Amino acid sequence: MLRTQLRRQPHKDSKGATEARMQHMAVFSVGGQRLAARTEEIGGVMPWMGLTAVPSDTPFVRALVRQEKGCLPVFDLAAKFNRPLQDGEPLCLVVKHVDGPLAICIDSQVPSLHMVARSAVQYRVGNDPDIAGTCIAGEEELPIINLTTLGVSSNRPA
Amino acid sequence: MGLRGHKTAVVSSGLAVRFLVALMGPTYVAFPSHWVRGIVTPTEGGQDGHVTWANASYERIDLARRLKIQAEGITAETRIVLYANEQRSRSFAVDKVVGLIDVERALIQPLPAQFRGGERERLLGLFVESSYIALIANPFWVLELPSRTNVLDVFVLRGSEPRPGEFDSRLCLPSGALEEASAMSAGSAK
Repeated sequence: MLRTQLRRQPHKDSKGATEARMQHMAVFSVGGQRLAARTEEIGGVMPWMGLTAVPSDTPFVRALVRQEKGCLPVFDLAAKFNRPLQDGEPLCLVVKHVDGPLAICIDSQVPSLHMVARSAVQYRVGNDPDIAGTCIAGEEELPIINLTTLGVSSNRPA
Repeated sequence: MGLRGHKTAVVSSGLAVRFLVALMGPTYVAFPSHWVRGIVTPTEGGQDGHVTWANASYERIDLARRLKIQAEGITAETRIVLYANEQRSRSFAVDKVVGLIDVERALIQPLPAQFRGGERERLLGLFVESSYIALIANPFWVLELPSRTNVLDVFVLRGSEPRPGEFDSRLCLPSGALEEASAMSAGSAK
């Protein structure tokens, strides 16, 4: 038994090492703008329920959306990127934001999951703190959006 | 329809806050009803920037503009809410009175932390109803008074008995308007 375990150990390590070299990314679009985000920053996807406007001074946070018995604040990513939402039934991307769950209205295509090699991910600091860098997912170079800190330090359009 | 007819969302704890819910533009705004002194039509409101009702004067303010809400303008459903405490009185227009509702304290949610601007001063929080989400206006801000912490605790109803010295604002509401508000809220009850 011990031998078996010992034999399996290198396999586990190898698998772990492989996974350590990969980054799980979700790819979605907002107004046709394709974006990538780390999957661990996403809480779920659900149908878009319709907005309740909030008279707010916070940039891009001007609405609430129903979720089960409560509601979530909405970050208007389309407005940030100056993109009109596409026709069709939009989806609600629930984000694990540092200030609590946050909703984003995304295009009707269901987000796709990608295993991206770490070597294909480039983190860099740019003008927009909501953008972490870029990655290549499905032969496409996409901006990586920082969902967990969305809007925390950015209050200007991209 | 009695003056006490209103929707009750109180379930278990007995701690609740009573709100007057009104539409301002597309937004449902809830005002702790304890400071509601009356609801009158615009024609009863007077033209000189003040509303006088029951020997009390209420300075008129454009609350929709202060809240940064695009109001509808005067329609047949527009009402003037008379709002006051012992220190200050104001009156403001709403596009429609939805009704009175008692909301269990535990069901009142603070404004999510992602809202970080001036709205945190203007709005205390929200509650979710079956057909709408109501934003709770800060009554101290409405009356242009310094705000305080735990504002809603001032307005919590504890059971059916009024506290010593408690003033029941419902008794001062112009009866026609209050019956109208009650009928509306009873009509919207589940």
